[in-house]
Amino acid sequence: MYRKQVRRRRAVLLLLVAASLTLLSLYYRESNAGPLHGAEKVVSTIFSPFQNGADRALKPVRDLVNWFHETFDARGDKASLEKQVASLRDQLARQQTQQQEAKELSALNELTSGGIVPDGTDPVTARVVGRSPTVWYSTVTIDKGSGDGVRIDDPVVAAQGLAGKVTQTTPNTAQVTLITDADSAVTARVTPGGATGVVEPNVGNPNDLQLDYLERNSRIAEGQMVVTAGFSTGNLGSIFPPGIPIGKITRASVEEQQAYQRVHLSPFADLRDMDFVKVLTIHTGGHKK
Amino acid sequence: MILTPGIIARLAVLGAVVVIAQVVCFSKMDVFGSDPDVLLLVVFSVGVMGGSLTGAVFGFSVGLLMDCLLLETLGGFALTLLSVGYVAGRYRETVGRPTRGAIPLLGAAMTLLGALVIAAIQIGTGVDANVSFLVVRDAIVTSLIGAALAIPVLLGVRLVVRSALVDERRAARRPTGARAVETP
Repeated sequence: MYRKQVRRRRAVLLLLVAASLTLLSLYYRESNAGPLHGAEKVVSTIFSPFQNGADRALKPVRDLVNWFHETFDARGDKASLEKQVASLRDQLARQQTQQQEAKELSALNELTSGGIVPDGTDPVTARVVGRSPTVWYSTVTIDKGSGDGVRIDDPVVAAQGLAGKVTQTTPNTAQVTLITDADSAVTARVTPGGATGVVEPNVGNPNDLQLDYLERNSRIAEGQMVVTAGFSTGNLGSIFPPGIPIGKITRASVEEQQAYQRVHLSPFADLRDMDFVKVLTIHTGGHKK
Repeated sequence: MILTPGIIARLAVLGAVVVIAQVVCFSKMDVFGSDPDVLLLVVFSVGVMGGSLTGAVFGFSVGLLMDCLLLETLGGFALTLLSVGYVAGRYRETVGRPTRGAIPLLGAAMTLLGALVIAAIQIGTGVDANVSFLVVRDAIVTSLIGAALAIPVLLGVRLVVRSALVDERRAARRPTGARAVETP
């Protein structure tokens, strides 16, 4: 009896591990239009209304926990204000949430109305409704999908600058791969100066990006701004329009520039704490066809 | 754990609710620069209470749902949570019911195991960018959060599946005030 149980346990375990590895392997090989991607999108579509509802319902809880974290950081001030804060905590959390959302939306509108949106694009405002719990997957899920005109490879901007691009869509949600993802690479230009390179991530550290492949004779200083280059050569073109702010140079040692043709920058967009983004949906006749 | 259709339904609802809560709420929380992995602790709890088979199947199912909701590589979270559920169940089957003191340690160890498996999958599928020290720091902080949350999560899951637990049934049958005498 016991041996039979052990055999059954081992068989089920082997079956599940084999199923996982088969799924991983097949998923990795197939295109976005493959059956596994399709099945995944169907499940995601079914659950998206629950996800949206839960996101709104649980936002006060999330904000309360985040508020505690921020308060812990500022514990020097906390001591004197503890009594007052305790009575106003709930009210403050609600007000801060609304204020933060309004501020983020306003900054987002300011950014996209500042001339960086090329003709033929229609910015779609979306709420970030999901995030992976590991630092390995630098992706977020937004509540707008192909039904709202969002397509794969559409650029995505946050309130302060470039956030990433759309990599998967369902009718009412989309996956945005952030510029901190291992697969991300964005052609960029340093201003002023005009030196060009490719912005790549430092995986697991969302506050550090690298600008690689710089020309050997370019001299870049800390504090300079990095924007998307948006190059176009014949039929080949960057999916990102030129001039979208990416970040600010934080480390630019002469040695590293000469040896590795690399400098470091921190992204303008707060990629771990953004509630709204704008997807620059591109229509026929736009900058990318 | 005695698996009746009712208990399977409860586990399914529990899994779906926790996956959604993990994606929309827990993953967006900032606790000492990391976020709590409550889903992993729920899988650990089911493994500890239900055994390796139940833990592995539950972990695989909720992991698959997690992959679908995040539109990530199908099988990644499934394999991770399957490992956690199985190892937690094997602990129960070989060592016995964990004591109060052991639960936080097991919670931390399982969270670390989850981080290692997901890292192995990522490296196996070809992450070719520089991996920073923050990945290690994140794994350690998440494990500490896992240790802190292990007991409350285990008690929460126990409430959901209480009627299916053999130990609880024995305790309920035992007359009040009677001395504990176990018969084979």
